[in-house]
Amino acid sequence: MAPDNKVDRWIRDNLFNAVPIAIAVMDKEFNVVYANHSFEKMFGNWKNRKCYAVYKNQKEVCKECKALATLKDGIPRISEEAGYNKEGRLTRYIKQTFPIIENGDILFLVEMSIDITDTERIRKERQLLFDQVPCNVMLIDKDFRVVRTNKKIREMFGDIEGTYCYESLKGTSRKCADCTAHQTFKDGKTHTGRSIVKGKDGKDINFQVTTVPLDVGDGQFELVMEMAVDITEMVNLQEELEDAHAFMQSLITTSMAGIIAVDHVGDITILNPAARDIFNIVPSKLITMQELEYMLPEGFLNQINAGPGHVHLPETDVQTIDGINVPVRLVGFQLSRGKSPMGMAIFIHDLRELKQLETDKIEAERLAAVGQTVAGLAHGVKNLITGLDGGMYMLNSGMNQGKVERIQEGMEMLGRNIERISKFVKEFLSFSRGREIQAELCHPSDIAEDVVSIYKTKANNFGVELIFEKKGDIKPAPIEYESMHECLTNLVGNAIDACMTSEDNDKCHVWVRVYEDDTNAIIFEVVDDGCGMDYEVKKKVFTNFFTTKGLGGTGLGLLTTKKIIQEHGGKISMESRLGKGTTFRIRLPRKQLPKIIEHNDEPKN
Amino acid sequence: MGDQKKILIVEDEPDVMIYLNAIYEDNGYTTVQATDGIEGFNMAKSEKPDLISLDIAMPNQTGVRTYREYKQDPDLKDIPVIIITAVGDDFRRYLAKLKGFQKPEGFMNKPIDENRLLKMVADILAD
Repeated sequence: MAPDNKVDRWIRDNLFNAVPIAIAVMDKEFNVVYANHSFEKMFGNWKNRKCYAVYKNQKEVCKECKALATLKDGIPRISEEAGYNKEGRLTRYIKQTFPIIENGDILFLVEMSIDITDTERIRKERQLLFDQVPCNVMLIDKDFRVVRTNKKIREMFGDIEGTYCYESLKGTSRKCADCTAHQTFKDGKTHTGRSIVKGKDGKDINFQVTTVPLDVGDGQFELVMEMAVDITEMVNLQEELEDAHAFMQSLITTSMAGIIAVDHVGDITILNPAARDIFNIVPSKLITMQELEYMLPEGFLNQINAGPGHVHLPETDVQTIDGINVPVRLVGFQLSRGKSPMGMAIFIHDLRELKQLETDKIEAERLAAVGQTVAGLAHGVKNLITGLDGGMYMLNSGMNQGKVERIQEGMEMLGRNIERISKFVKEFLSFSRGREIQAELCHPSDIAEDVVSIYKTKANNFGVELIFEKKGDIKPAPIEYESMHECLTNLVGNAIDACMTSEDNDKCHVWVRVYEDDTNAIIFEVVDDGCGMDYEVKKKVFTNFFTTKGLGGTGLGLLTTKKIIQEHGGKISMESRLGKGTTFRIRLPRKQLPKIIEHNDEPKN
Repeated sequence: MGDQKKILIVEDEPDVMIYLNAIYEDNGYTTVQATDGIEGFNMAKSEKPDLISLDIAMPNQTGVRTYREYKQDPDLKDIPVIIITAVGDDFRRYLAKLKGFQKPEGFMNKPIDENRLLKMVADILAD
């Protein structure tokens, strides 16, 4: 039995110091009288010290001293304590206190302490993680009872530990059909799913749920950990995005304007119904970049690509897929996100209807003008007839009375009024005819210069200085030369008349100016410093048969001028101050000028 | 012929002026002539004619205003006015609707029927 003895001796002599548990013995006065190596390693020097000084660095007995209780009743105790180790660091330990009793007296207390500082730290950290992780975490058992919840769940749903998860989370009396925890319990694997739960405020909360088996080490598990992330915001954003997309899609689909979008690799991603209509592309047919290039004006796509900014063609033609010209307005621009290109978008406004309306409107205006003219004609004719009547009266009464002078005057009146009728009829015919304007490329300044050179001498004879002024460079433009010549002739004639009517007519001037303004409009100005017009005359300037010239004018000159300017897509305006002079301004925006009519030069035989 | 009645002719068409002048003079009236509204107005004040033969060319406010100026002037409002116009009956109806001043004593459309005009003048001056 020698080995046994040896073991016994080792136990008696060495075990006390070898056990990894701190053991101390203390007397009734709390003096530590004996301690092992582990104790010394943990709490340091103990000899001749009170237990509360050694354990807790205190000067008095602890308020809730477990040893004191055991000293009183002799019952062993286990307690969790916090003290300070020999380095003075906070130490957590579990302490068992046993009394050593002899003949009913408690002589000493034996205290055995296990350091749980690290364990405690890990436990706390785990709890912290469990509570503070930004998702809901809970443990549920096989009956779907909630065993534990983290802080986030408690904040969201209150204390639900011990309840059935489906009852407290979803308010149903049966577990959910798509329960991921159920699947995990069945196959022991991780499962994910979506779940919609009513929050405290009654609003739906969307969760992304993951359930994992809580394996305690032997491959068996009793609990499932369920982790749920609130994805309500994401779901809402996704819904908003879908709404926005649907909204945009319906705008594109119902847009009156044609919309085409091309992505950065050159695929046509949007071709809305309006665009299909304009280009005559059947609903399901896809088109290629080559086809798009063919349909759009040459170089348009390159122009967009050259960027930046948008390319705007207010009036141009595109071709349908089957090669028919369509008048449109085009806007194209590059699409980009930050600096990375996303492709381009093109807007097409069909101008066919507008063009037709424009033609109709011009025709309606012309008919209205003719109508007005006919109404005015009666007025003009009445005056002419009165003139003829007067002539006849003078002639007859002169003959009856034998007054040669009166006969002479009657003849002159008849002559004047007949001439007036003939002039009237000629101008009326010219005014009322509807026709297509025959524009040709010509230099606007040539027209003005020509009018000035024709009238210069005549003006000089009347003591009026006629001056031609050209400002800047003006490129040729499609204009009907003869008509515009007639307009300027009318205005120059009026201006000279205004000078002659002026009281101060010995230093009168008429300027004929031509220039192009910064909006690409050609401007003709006829300016005089003659008599000017009063308010009443100004109001009537462009109305039918208005004349201040008595027998000298038909009242059709300015009306015809206005009509010609309108046929050129332009406008005529007038400023006048009585006694100061008058300015007539013709403004011809280049983009509204008539198109040059191509004459098909058929081979002559 | 000291009791010859005096007619003021306001007319801007020279030939019509000659015509009216001849008609009136041939039938025993003396005439004074004005070629526009302002001259006519001034002359009406200075010459105190027995009748005004007023040409109104424009079927709008202007024409009405010219007429109204005569009829609202205390010196002139009692002088009878014959309006001679090519404008037509629309204008006569327009004038008839206006309130606040005397309607024209006579209204004559162009072309002028000289016998009717002379009868109208004689009737008005006989009153």
